Amino acid sequence: MVDDQAKLNATAHLYDSKTMRSSAPSRKAAAGKLKQNTEIPLDAIPEVHIPGWVESIFGGPVISKMKFLPPDRMVTSLQLSSSITLVLLCFLTFMITPVTGTAWFALSNMIGIGFIGGLFHFIIIGIGLIGGMYGVFQRDQKALLVSYIMLIIVTIRFAGSKVEFGLSFLPEGEIAQKLLLILYAIFLVMYMELSSGIIRFSMLDTSIRTGEVYVMGIQKITSRYHRSLLIAPSIAGFVALLTLFINRIIPAMVSIINPVSADRLRESVELTSVYGVALGTIVIFTIIGGAFAVNLPLRIQQFRDKQS
Amino acid sequence: MAWSRKSAMFASLAVALYLLGLVLRNQQLVTVAVVLLSFLTWAAFRTSHADVSSSGRRLDDLQNDEGIELQNILAMRKVSSSRIFEDGEVDVTLRLQNRSNTSKVLEVRDRVPEVMRIKKGANYVLMELGPQRETEISYTIETPLRGFYTIGPVCVRVQDAFGLFHNEKEIHLYEDFLVFPKMEDIKDAMIKSRVPKIFTGAVNIRNPGEGSNFYNLREYIPGDPMKKVNWKATARQDGKMMVNEFERDAVSDIILIVDSRKISETGPVSRNSLVYSTRAAASLSQHFLSRRDSVGLVIYGDEITSVDRDTGKKQLYVLLTKLAGAMAKGNTPMKIVTNRIMPHINRGSPIIILTPLEDDPTIVDAVRDLRSRNFDVTILSPSSLEFEFDARRLDRTGYEVLKTERDILMAELRGLGAFVMDWEPDMMLNTALSGARGF
Repeated sequence: MVDDQAKLNATAHLYDSKTMRSSAPSRKAAAGKLKQNTEIPLDAIPEVHIPGWVESIFGGPVISKMKFLPPDRMVTSLQLSSSITLVLLCFLTFMITPVTGTAWFALSNMIGIGFIGGLFHFIIIGIGLIGGMYGVFQRDQKALLVSYIMLIIVTIRFAGSKVEFGLSFLPEGEIAQKLLLILYAIFLVMYMELSSGIIRFSMLDTSIRTGEVYVMGIQKITSRYHRSLLIAPSIAGFVALLTLFINRIIPAMVSIINPVSADRLRESVELTSVYGVALGTIVIFTIIGGAFAVNLPLRIQQFRDKQS
Repeated sequence: MAWSRKSAMFASLAVALYLLGLVLRNQQLVTVAVVLLSFLTWAAFRTSHADVSSSGRRLDDLQNDEGIELQNILAMRKVSSSRIFEDGEVDVTLRLQNRSNTSKVLEVRDRVPEVMRIKKGANYVLMELGPQRETEISYTIETPLRGFYTIGPVCVRVQDAFGLFHNEKEIHLYEDFLVFPKMEDIKDAMIKSRVPKIFTGAVNIRNPGEGSNFYNLREYIPGDPMKKVNWKATARQDGKMMVNEFERDAVSDIILIVDSRKISETGPVSRNSLVYSTRAAASLSQHFLSRRDSVGLVIYGDEITSVDRDTGKKQLYVLLTKLAGAMAKGNTPMKIVTNRIMPHINRGSPIIILTPLEDDPTIVDAVRDLRSRNFDVTILSPSSLEFEFDARRLDRTGYEVLKTERDILMAELRGLGAFVMDWEPDMMLNTALSGARGF
């Protein structure tokens, strides 16, 4: 009895790193069983905005935490140019992509109602157009994504035809067809860029107005973007031209040295086919890759720094 | 160079179309792919064109360090104060210099601790910085919680106009600052004792107050008790009533014990026992030190940190610094703390313990030991039950059960002769103290 009492009063065990239990049951343990709500209190969470998947596709320098404020001048002009591009793109799509050769065309022919294929083809373009318009003016990122997907589905329809276009009055010549194709591809890229620009600049504008970000010289930044909108498609178009016309460029270069070989090259089936285009792509992108490999952009900048 | 999700999407689409075009021998698909690839390549070319080599220095060091190697982007920072109290403000000035001969469009983010709030200005700036130009970004941050904090690094990012690729660099420029716990003004809750000399070990100091030694004579002010009137002096002053003033009895040693065990952080970040305890300890330190008392501090969590008793303003800063750095860790029993400190403090000195009174089976024993050695023990217990109940982590039944247990424990401690106060979240420190002392 005395020993037990001594044991109770002894404190030596406190220094032996033993776990002690309170006489009263642990409040934490009880709280764990009794709590109704496991919600973390608001002030325990730091205010960090984690962008969603869609937001991070469209997000620009800043991803705004709140809903967009009414569009400013920059956004409005982008909306306008984006909608014009979309209309032109859809018109081009309608012109150059025939329903023939598509899966839905085959299916509708199988069931014997041919016009359904055409109607379906028209509906896809329509969804691309309406979804795009909605996305552009409502600044709805999901609607824009749907529009992109629809327009890409129609693009993949090219797989079903060789060089056939949707409308008969379109040019038959190789150069005109290639130019029309490049124009179509540029419109597609521009539509994607302009519409995502709407979201990016809306986010930036909202962040500026809510004080999340401060922008010095917004005019210079927007004019840089406008300049890039002109330069980038021109460059892309030029590179595409070089690639697509490699079947003419290579024989022209070879003709300086050996006209006979040049004539043979002009008549080469491989060079005029898709493999010629692939060869052109390899040649052009090898040159570009080389420029990157020697870090040409940085060297140009260093040269400019030294010059000035 | 880093890819964005958008550029990855463009690239995969281009590659898919290109491969499909080759497989199906379709020139149209390859054409679309080539345009997409060219667009991407141009953007990548433009991004890598932007060189973001950079360095950082504190603004104060600039004058003494002119010989440093010049790099393209230079950042310097200055903060208005390196020591501040909770709910205070720190002004930050970040100066950025572009020492290259080409203009750069930069995204600059000066990283601030997550708990801080930007009150004025912005720490995230998008700008075009001309060649050989510099600019200054100013912003103000609010400091809601005590602790040691660091501002930095400065993140500089350059990206192409379409947001497809970016280059990013961190300028390793850091600025440390300290946020002291907020202090509440304690008036005279401890002084208004019914017993003139509450604590043993007191020394007289030359300050008027509620002591026992005569200090001075002064004229009667309405409200002074009649027992203080010095009738002899009144008679000498031709009827002008004079009263006696007494020297205040100062308490020599005051020991503050702050419980910073893991459990003391139960509750929301800004409303938990540790936050309240540190604020109370800071306020009490200031109060006692201004009375020229000697104050010591013990903080226990995973280890026991103590500040030896001392007086003066310097001691206040030492105590505040320790309180600012108190982290909720470990589970050291109070008995170990009291056993360690008891041999070193004067018997009878007042001890103020700030603890949530949770998960420590040794509290009763520890207080019993202190009381048996005649220490004046005051326990202020911020009630984390209330914090959790307010945060809706606890339902009514659980709350009532636990509250009853807590009340029983406090009654037991009161039975040992300790002054115990259940400090509810909305209660002022003054009120809690008065409640503990029974005023």
